[in-house]
Amino acid sequence: MRRDEENALVKNGRLDAVDRSDSFGFGVRAMADGAWGFAASQIVSAPEADRVGALAVEIAKASALTKKRDATLAPVEAVRATYETPVDLDPFAMSFDDRIKLLMAAEARMRERKGLRTTRAAYAVWREDKLFMSSEGAEIAQRLTEVGGGIAAEAVGNGELQIRTYPDGLRYQNAGGWEILTRWDLMVNAERVADEAVALLSAKPCPQDTITSVILSGNQLSLQCHESCGHPIELDRALGSEAAFAGTSFLTPDKLGTFRYGSAQVNIRIDATSKGGLGTFGFDDEGVPASEGWAVKDGIFVGYLMSRETAAALGTRSNGTMRADGWARVPIIRMTNVSVMPGNAGTLDDLIADTDDGILMDTNRSWSIDDKRFNFQFGTEIGWEIKKGKRRDMVRNPTYTGLTPEFWGSCDAICSESEWVMWGTPNCGKGQPGQGAHTGHGAAPARFRDVRVGVIK
Amino acid sequence: MNGILFGERELRTIAERAMRAAKGDQAEALVIGKTVSLTRFANSAIHQNVTSREAELRVRVVLGTRRATATTNRLDDDGIRRAAELASDLARRAPEDPTFPGLPAPRPIPSAPSGYVEKTAEATPLDRARAAKTLCDKASAVKLIAAGFVATNVQEIAVASTLGTWAYAPQTYAEAQIAAIGGDGSAFAQRVSTDVTGLDVEGAAAEAVGKAAIAQHPRDLAPDTYEVVLTPYAVRDMVSFLGMQLNGLAVEEGRSFVGGKIGQKVTGPITLVEDPFDSRSIPRPFDFEGQPSDRVALIENGVARAVVYDSVTAHRNKAINTGHALPFVGLPAPMHLRLEAGDKTREQLVAGVKKGVLVTRFWYTRWVHQLRTIVTGMTRDGTFAIVDGEIAHPVKNFRFTQSYHEALGGVRGASKDLSLLVAGEQFGLMTSCQRVPALHLAAFTFTGSTRY
Repeated sequence: MRRDEENALVKNGRLDAVDRSDSFGFGVRAMADGAWGFAASQIVSAPEADRVGALAVEIAKASALTKKRDATLAPVEAVRATYETPVDLDPFAMSFDDRIKLLMAAEARMRERKGLRTTRAAYAVWREDKLFMSSEGAEIAQRLTEVGGGIAAEAVGNGELQIRTYPDGLRYQNAGGWEILTRWDLMVNAERVADEAVALLSAKPCPQDTITSVILSGNQLSLQCHESCGHPIELDRALGSEAAFAGTSFLTPDKLGTFRYGSAQVNIRIDATSKGGLGTFGFDDEGVPASEGWAVKDGIFVGYLMSRETAAALGTRSNGTMRADGWARVPIIRMTNVSVMPGNAGTLDDLIADTDDGILMDTNRSWSIDDKRFNFQFGTEIGWEIKKGKRRDMVRNPTYTGLTPEFWGSCDAICSESEWVMWGTPNCGKGQPGQGAHTGHGAAPARFRDVRVGVIK
Repeated sequence: MNGILFGERELRTIAERAMRAAKGDQAEALVIGKTVSLTRFANSAIHQNVTSREAELRVRVVLGTRRATATTNRLDDDGIRRAAELASDLARRAPEDPTFPGLPAPRPIPSAPSGYVEKTAEATPLDRARAAKTLCDKASAVKLIAAGFVATNVQEIAVASTLGTWAYAPQTYAEAQIAAIGGDGSAFAQRVSTDVTGLDVEGAAAEAVGKAAIAQHPRDLAPDTYEVVLTPYAVRDMVSFLGMQLNGLAVEEGRSFVGGKIGQKVTGPITLVEDPFDSRSIPRPFDFEGQPSDRVALIENGVARAVVYDSVTAHRNKAINTGHALPFVGLPAPMHLRLEAGDKTREQLVAGVKKGVLVTRFWYTRWVHQLRTIVTGMTRDGTFAIVDGEIAHPVKNFRFTQSYHEALGGVRGASKDLSLLVAGEQFGLMTSCQRVPALHLAAFTFTGSTRY
């Protein structure tokens, strides 16, 4: 596996950092005596492959010391195949000058606004070439390409530090080429986020400890989905594999197919074939083809993210969600693209017009959820009061909290397909040693009733 | 040296090749070697068992006030040359930065206790599996389920520059974590040691298993502001968050609670020290720019005294570089925090609480308001009501939303023992560790609760 990345950060008018990196190596996952071992090396040679393969087997045999039962795998057809992310404008074929000028210009536009303390613009270009082979006969070559970035304006004053970003923190990312970044109008929005960051310093605080209706922006709903649906539907969590670290799940196997996760409005799809998703690929790191299916259908929990081993425990086949963070890490179950499907509430303006009283919350700033994925609390960069169908005063430090099934159960409207965007989380942490994953989440703005807002005083 | 270490000579050779291949006014090479070995168990059986040996080179090339970096793990001649040329090319194309002072000049690095123990580097898969089995067996013996890991890690850090900087240090650390899980409650324990032979696996098992036994069937307790006793696992989280604010960049950007308050009281009577020479931590006397790291008293008896800097932020803010550059240039941080001990046993801390809560561990903690150090998170793996100085019963986990430095304004006691801990999400490279006591705090605000 070879990974190439370039990350650049422009801050306060200077190029604060630019780093180009590559990493190349291989990993071997072996099953011996019914248990697992994994070893990896960056020395890519036949003798090293022999050594690392033998070490993986030695480690597997050591694992067998505590074995309760033999590991078993659901079947998969061993195939020879290739896959490549569709790319219009190859970011690695462009000149650095072309990449950096977009950031410099957008960051400079923000600095035209007086009253900002810090301005940032960043991009990330990422590519992974990997070859998967198994002793079952699979041979799969893939090239995955991603681009991301954004702008951020920070203002400090009145005992406050306020931030506005576009399009989604500095972490917006999609699968594809440089066209991903240029389709967002950073220049026009630079002026807006700069103005909003300054305005937030004197905005009224979010109403304290109040129950009201909340409309979440699409990018905030995507993270809500990631944390409160994507993680609890990971079958390794539900079966206890992450019990000491990432945690378990309230969505235990006995609930599959019957548990009411949300209102009938809520449909959440697992789809590793979605255009542009960070969880879009040809095959997972067990050689299982990308698939699509439902996690939540009409509000009912109906599907897990699975590996071959966890699928076998349920007597089914894997839906292809095992991914490793580079050559030196063992594949584990990761979200692919877990997306809230659009509803029929029209545009965001239509949804606001349909709301008598509430708060619109936009773009994540703070996120936390318990280790079974029940109790969550999120904060967003900005909010606006909604009164009688109109967007009114801006509010600062908006927060909301709840319990996952009750919250999704209170969802009564989701905007239509025209508002639906494939967002992404390029920094999802899980596993020990730690692994970061890139996951996709499509979402449109949605409304939730009777939500507790304003947690901080 | 054994077969696990790359060794000073090999890392120096890589660094020198990179600097020779760089085309700039100045060049710096950071070479990191590491062997990460981790045996993970869940449902009382090993399910993930991994090892990887990795090394990477980061070259920073400076041309006037322009600079760029390139990172590679291809450490043959071609790979090194390619990275150096890439960084040189990017630096040539980068815009000028008048605030950049150039690479720091070399300074003598004082001697420090070694953070390297050969036996840790030599630990085998079987050694780790046996330790994991001990943890699993102790839990199984009382019908609990064990999950956690045993790890042995080796890392080497070498920094060189064309100005003459050379710094090298190997480090090791072994770690055991266990969650002992019953039908309706769990408990957690962690041990960290540079020396695997001193890793207290039995102690971790006894702590988690003993606490899990009394953690079953938690009751509801209304979220409110309570007196709390925090074990070192929870205190480590507080110290880490405050550490993120105790640096020159946070002050410069207006996000630090000590901004404009140096010399003023910011907490209760605690003393927080950045001590890279602490022999009971994982010492390293230099930073990732090869600069000597100073011992810095950050908060003394509740009074903000100083923050840490790297070369760039020190120059921009007309401060003295304390030698606290992280691998990511421009981001300084304390890496060896120690919250000084008190004079009480942990039992005495609990005995001092009339009505309150004992928290074993915080989970999923995130900023809500950085400037006010407001953090939200959950309690996890052992939360108990304290009544009249005794642990009364387990309670369901809370969500808290609390200013960390304001909570430290009400310190009523600290334990006389310190625990060496590391964060759980370091992605293979251990950059920081903490030594902290248990604390008794007068007030901590829980804003919600969950169902277990």
